[in-house]
Amino acid sequence: MTITLDRAQENFEIGFDEFVSATSLTRADKASKLASQIDMISQSPEGIKHLFERCIALEEAGIFENTPWTNPEKQAPPLVKGTLLAGHPTSSFEILSELRILAYAKGQAQSENFSQKDASNFLEEVLVYNLEFAFDELTEQSRSKLSDRERKKVINHFSFLIDSADLNGIKEKLAEEIKMVCAQRPIVTTSVRQLIELVHHKLELNESDDVDQTLAYYVNAIYFPGKIAAQHADMVAYGNVLESLSDEEFRTEVKEIADYLHQTGLTNPHLAVALVHCLKHKPTLIPDLLQLSDQGTSEWEKYQKYITKLCLTVFGPLNFRGIYGLKRMLERNLFSRRAVRAGLTNLRLIHVNDKVATRVIKSVSHSDESVDAIQYLLGAMLSILGQPIGIGQGNNATCQSARGISMWAQHSPAKLINMVTTVATANNFIMRFESQTLESNKIGKGLIDQLDHKLDAVSVVLVPHLDKIYNEMMRRAAGRGEDGHKWVNPALYGHWIPMGFASAYATLINAVQDFDGFVRLFYAGFHPEFNGGREMVYPNPIGIFITSSRGDMLGFHAISLLRVAKVKETGEIRAYFLNPNNEGRQDWGQGIKPSVFGNGERHGESSLPMHQFTARVYAFHFNPLEAKPRMELIPNNTISEVRQLAEKSWGKSYTWSDIKKQW
Amino acid sequence: MATCYALMGWSLPVIESMQKTGKPFVVVSFPDFEAYAKENDIPFVSYQFDEWSDTSNSIDLHEKLKPFNADVAVPLFEETVEWAGALNSIYRDDPRVLNRAFLFRNKAMMKRKALIGGLRVGLFEEVHNRDEVKQFMQRLNQANLQLDGEEDSWVHIKPFSAAGTVGHRLLRSMKDIDEKVEDTDFPCLAESHLSGKEFSCEGFVHKGKLRWLNITEYVRLGYSNFIPEGNVLHTKRKLIWDKVQQMIDIFGIEFGMVHPEWFLTDDDVLSFGETACRIPGGHILELAGKAYGFDALAAFVMSHDPWKTEEEFDAMFPDKDYRPGEFYGNVMIYPRKERIEKLEIPDELQEEPYFLDHNLIPPMTTQKIDSREGFGNHFGTVNFKGDDPDRMTELLLHYENVDFYV
Repeated sequence: MTITLDRAQENFEIGFDEFVSATSLTRADKASKLASQIDMISQSPEGIKHLFERCIALEEAGIFENTPWTNPEKQAPPLVKGTLLAGHPTSSFEILSELRILAYAKGQAQSENFSQKDASNFLEEVLVYNLEFAFDELTEQSRSKLSDRERKKVINHFSFLIDSADLNGIKEKLAEEIKMVCAQRPIVTTSVRQLIELVHHKLELNESDDVDQTLAYYVNAIYFPGKIAAQHADMVAYGNVLESLSDEEFRTEVKEIADYLHQTGLTNPHLAVALVHCLKHKPTLIPDLLQLSDQGTSEWEKYQKYITKLCLTVFGPLNFRGIYGLKRMLERNLFSRRAVRAGLTNLRLIHVNDKVATRVIKSVSHSDESVDAIQYLLGAMLSILGQPIGIGQGNNATCQSARGISMWAQHSPAKLINMVTTVATANNFIMRFESQTLESNKIGKGLIDQLDHKLDAVSVVLVPHLDKIYNEMMRRAAGRGEDGHKWVNPALYGHWIPMGFASAYATLINAVQDFDGFVRLFYAGFHPEFNGGREMVYPNPIGIFITSSRGDMLGFHAISLLRVAKVKETGEIRAYFLNPNNEGRQDWGQGIKPSVFGNGERHGESSLPMHQFTARVYAFHFNPLEAKPRMELIPNNTISEVRQLAEKSWGKSYTWSDIKKQW
Repeated sequence: MATCYALMGWSLPVIESMQKTGKPFVVVSFPDFEAYAKENDIPFVSYQFDEWSDTSNSIDLHEKLKPFNADVAVPLFEETVEWAGALNSIYRDDPRVLNRAFLFRNKAMMKRKALIGGLRVGLFEEVHNRDEVKQFMQRLNQANLQLDGEEDSWVHIKPFSAAGTVGHRLLRSMKDIDEKVEDTDFPCLAESHLSGKEFSCEGFVHKGKLRWLNITEYVRLGYSNFIPEGNVLHTKRKLIWDKVQQMIDIFGIEFGMVHPEWFLTDDDVLSFGETACRIPGGHILELAGKAYGFDALAAFVMSHDPWKTEEEFDAMFPDKDYRPGEFYGNVMIYPRKERIEKLEIPDELQEEPYFLDHNLIPPMTTQKIDSREGFGNHFGTVNFKGDDPDRMTELLLHYENVDFYV
């Protein structure tokens, strides 16, 4: 093996010499051969080291000329993963390019357009986006795409980067990443759990360091949520120990567990064991264990018997994910609704359709045979009801369905439970559209062919059917000279949706028409300073233009506007909304970056200043009897501020017309 | 010494080699290459080689090359052999140079000439349709005293003027004639199968004398070869040298390079297959250059210069008796599946000490492979280097059957 390695390096040097002595005429072929040697030597850690030593010389010799890697400043961290998964020669060039950037970061080379700091930032981002490689803990996607050789190469490369780059910077980003994901309280926590697992297994954490403390907190939240829990990884043993504790000791443990749950939204098997123990033996400690608010506590006290029965059916050390949802549900007083209790009882009693059961099991990471599909489904049901805006669409183009589920969970929880009960039993669903019934199993395809199962169990049950029905409604509403959502949204989501519908785009003249009027109408409907100080009562299904970080038009997206409110500290008016995309943090160009934390957001909400948000809206519903009279109250400069942002971004893709429109 | 070489055909490696020699040259090729040539300061004359008319002919081309003072034409590809022959006839004021070029372009004529001169060739005949091929096979069977139930004698058919393996078909039976032969194959040359080990030579000729000889070991025709020749062929070097010289004499070749293919049987009988006088395929000159440590492409071009002295000529080559210690081989990779998705370098290549490099390209997304014409387009070449020719043979045979595309 060492002979091969030395020889590989020797061959690499020969190939390098040939590349250098080639003129531009045969450069491309020589570069291709040299790349094959780069591929070979990157199979060993020593080879990567050797490549690193030679990468600047290679760059100077022009290995990146006429390739996408020419300019280090044009490399984009989010694209790195796809490039590495593409195989040789693409991955070989990518690795070499990153090693070059590492050399920049270490000050071994300089460029006018790419500072040492730029290089460090790039590497840190690359590492954060690709932590799975750095720790050789591949996701299924990467695992299936990479051959053994490619995997070895990428792993060697990343362990070299991790060794060579300054890890403290990464720790901070890691902590930030975990904190930001948890702040959104997603229902599906698989990714963030993987991140924390990586931190736990691969990083040395120092008690005296602030960032490390934060990281350690999240590690504890999953693995060691209490002093006694930390000593017992075995759940049977932990259960036994809990029984032997004094009241005081048990209370202390409970409070610790509760704190992690409340601060992070992350659940763990210890929590489930403690929950079961409390339900059976110490019911008075449930409010402590779940760190319930006053409403939550009184809700628990009132429905203790019902909830105990439900929880003992659902939760255990192998099914604990919905416990945070349970806490939030109690705090929302949902058990006080008779329909909710009846619905959950019904759901508990059904026989789950085999196909639906398969989908449910597939959606659970590390599912266990001893847990039934109905248990997973009930757990997810509690999550959705407790965290209605923690829902995500996964890697599916089903934002419409996701926001529907979220809306029902907020405003019609019993309807949602009923839908889940029907679909889980029949694997079919019926809705009404303009006096005609649409039966999912009798209509054609939806937007998606194959569901990505990285979803909560409720979504995997409902989305395939909702998606088909939505698509069929849109089909039937097509050709009416207006955006079909005008009719489809109220039909799909229900009577919470106001009848008025405004779209910035006029189908008949194929242009953006009367944008000023559009903005006036939006402000008159939702901006508290112009709508008579009214709060939004129900979410509003809104269509937005999705733009790139450079502000270029990318496509359309469905979100829900939840509320518009003043931030106490700054006096700024912000729009708060649900983005069913799994990640609320986005960059839409022109400095428009939805935030998820720190601007008065509730868990799961995204927010933007009102004018920035409005500059991306293309369609919304409004109440025609109330909004129109207030339109003229909006100052012109407010309108033009929004208009400028719109014109210079997605607006470039459209013709604009200022012909007035009857809204 | 030549004033300016006219390179007939477009080859970047040849242009690069010539630039490095600092000798004047001009490239003659299709108009498609003109923009690139201009951009890269490559002296260029655009010419439509596939058109022959009152306005497109060697006299016209000769005029166009005058501003460059070209006085030697060098054929880089099979299709430019006549053009180079015609120009050299004018430059050397010898009409027979062109006739000799025709010899290279018509395999039947070539064989006849070889036969007259005393080289051993197979039985051959020009054929115009399937029936004639069948009759040819029939006569071969008779000559081979075939008994009932015995297999037919093998027959090869090949176009008169195509390079290398293009259009070459091996017919093992009467049934093959019906199944494998296309109407568009005719007319062509039919010939009996020559047994023995096939190899090629690259003989560099000055004033009718063979001055330097490379022997290329064919591991599998169209797939793999290596240089210098293996141990067995090496012991036959004298025999081969003499035969190549005999062929040069018969054909009356004065300058340039010949690239004949031979068959050698165990009892040392050498049969002549065919010969060419342009750059051989399979990256042979690239391998020879690496193995012997000289610029074989520049030497190929300049070996056409009739004004060089013997000393100047010899100086371009390694010593006649020099045998390199390391063998350079390559195998051309063809996808082996109908539908391929990606390039995947096999693990075993990593552990292979003889591996040198490759230039394999990834396929387009899910590429469907067309049926192979001749040997079709390969997806790249894998190069090896090592000191044992037998191991090299094993490796090249092995990698021909390894999947690089899955």
